[in-house]
Amino acid sequence: MTLKLKLEDGVHEVEIVARRPHLTVRIDGRLHTIADLGPAGDGSGAITFDGARLPFERIASTGTTLVRIDGRTVAVDVVDPFDEGAGPGSGRDEILAPMPGAVVHVHKAPGDPVTRGEAVLTIESMKLQTTLVAPRDGELVAVLKGEGDTFEKDEVVARLAPAEGDQ
Amino acid sequence: MSHSAPPRDAFRLDAALDVPSEPRTRAPVPFRRVLIANRGEIAVRIQRTLRHMGIGTVAVFHRVDADAPHVAGADESVELVGDTAVAAHLDGAQIVASAVACGADAIHPGYGFLSENAGFARQVAEAGLTFIGPDADTIALMGDKISARQFAEAHGVPVAPSVMPTGDLDAFAAEAERIGFPLLIKAAAGGGGKGMSIVREAGALREAARIASSEAQRYFGDGRVYAEVYVERPRHIEVQVLGDGTGGAIHLFERECSVQRRFQKIIEEAPAARLPVALRDEICAAAVRLASAARYKNAGTVEFILGADGRFFFLEMNTRLQVEHPVTEMITGIDLVRAQLEIAAGQGLPAPQQEIVAHGHAVECRICAEAPDRGFLPATGAVRHLGVPQGPAIRFENALRQGQKITADFDPMLAKLVVAGADRGDAIDRTLSALGELAILGVETNVDYLARVLDHPAFRAGDLHTAFVSEHADSLAPRPLDAAARDRALIVAALGQRIFQTLVTDVPEPHASIGAWRN
Repeated sequence: MTLKLKLEDGVHEVEIVARRPHLTVRIDGRLHTIADLGPAGDGSGAITFDGARLPFERIASTGTTLVRIDGRTVAVDVVDPFDEGAGPGSGRDEILAPMPGAVVHVHKAPGDPVTRGEAVLTIESMKLQTTLVAPRDGELVAVLKGEGDTFEKDEVVARLAPAEGDQ
Repeated sequence: MSHSAPPRDAFRLDAALDVPSEPRTRAPVPFRRVLIANRGEIAVRIQRTLRHMGIGTVAVFHRVDADAPHVAGADESVELVGDTAVAAHLDGAQIVASAVACGADAIHPGYGFLSENAGFARQVAEAGLTFIGPDADTIALMGDKISARQFAEAHGVPVAPSVMPTGDLDAFAAEAERIGFPLLIKAAAGGGGKGMSIVREAGALREAARIASSEAQRYFGDGRVYAEVYVERPRHIEVQVLGDGTGGAIHLFERECSVQRRFQKIIEEAPAARLPVALRDEICAAAVRLASAARYKNAGTVEFILGADGRFFFLEMNTRLQVEHPVTEMITGIDLVRAQLEIAAGQGLPAPQQEIVAHGHAVECRICAEAPDRGFLPATGAVRHLGVPQGPAIRFENALRQGQKITADFDPMLAKLVVAGADRGDAIDRTLSALGELAILGVETNVDYLARVLDHPAFRAGDLHTAFVSEHADSLAPRPLDAAARDRALIVAALGQRIFQTLVTDVPEPHASIGAWRN
């Protein structure tokens, strides 16, 4: 039985090696024993990890679980085995709004060539202005929001022509 | 939950009130009921002092805040109607009418919103109520950067070489070029970093002025911008002053607010690190001169920029309680909200200057919902877990509650963590340990980033300037976890999954080895 988890940019396997007398798991070849498991789910708690007390705070999710230990918060994603192999998605051709907000200034029009990092839109979110830039070199095919238009987080605000060889 | 706990600063403030230098023989403040025209942590903090003083509290709220701690903690509360919560809190006429209707005798504006709105101060006074702040004319004088600067210059407070605004962008650019580069463009009516930018070469000047002017027009309804010399590696030093309204003024020492991102402070401390005493005295004296000349009546903050060469220039005066006021309270033992109320009631200053003494060191961290690793973009989410550090020298100023949604409706500042220590090193160590204990999960915050700043060798050495965050961007980036820490995090995450727990505890051994698994 193995649970695949993603932390920072690596995928790690938590393998249950034994359940008695203590839970023993193998992670990346290292064996650990764990006692005092406590319940699943959210909250503060402490487990005994390799004989030492390990206090933690956690909100668990079948998507991203947030864990705070050693004075640091880390995000751990459960890797769904059925999703594995799916590509990184449509991110490369689209400019997404990082936050809900409104467009302050449109720098480029459809048909304009853009280079990576070049300003496409200036937006305003929570009283701060941010420039949204082209994610790569290419040609803009759509600017979906005009000055004053509002948008939600992750809404597509502009689109690049698909890169050659992407078809 | 933190907001239902007794105020954690009670220990220090109560102790401070027993300091013999601040005899409490004066008459009680004659307010029976004070309306707080604010929300969030500052409304909760003002309520605390009012309760201490036996004064009734009135909260105002927009319906999105109906369950907020500042409403729950008030003796009375009044709902404000408005399209958005921000609009409701900017509706001066409605707030004054609410105060009159519930029999409040004074209005405390907190910071932000209407706190530096001269028109609001006038409305309050015209309704026969006391505005806890200076009179409308003083707010107007200091609220306009240009008139404030001219006033400061006229009273012997150093100001930086600058170019005044004109409606003509070309003429402005030509004049500004004569100051030399780099220079700073600012909105005449500005604040909070809006309409502000650094220009390093003549070619970028016109566009920067255009953007600053349009931003200023949108935020402040006033597109005038001006330019001034830009001091490289500047420190932001500000002085807490108290004025009695008749020319009497004292200072409560300085604060250092040099660590900023997006032109907004994230870490403040008192006193400033490694500031020579003679220079400190000179800066504080300049601030007192300004407050006295303005016959300033309230707590206020005079902000300065300090160059590496020891030259300092007036930046602006904030005519209200400052976000970072607790660090001053912690080193002086003076409750600034109480001082504001006593001054507004005509009872004068809490103590003569020679009796104001600073002890130890205090650090404030602004806990913000934001992504430090992605340009400090504001983050949204919900407070799904809240763990608050405890300790006698810790103030966790907040109005958070478990489950609270963090939306784009308000400023990203969630709370302030304020910690005192015997000296700067001790205060830093204690703050680091408190940050480690602070857990806000469910919305991305800058908590871990703040810890990396505090623990940075340059911060510990007191080598501060306003570009600290960008200069040390690489060494402030999170370090990857080592293998042992990674394994600990992975185990704790795995045990959070119900299905993993089930497999660990319930399933007979053979089944546990069956392969594919889906949550």
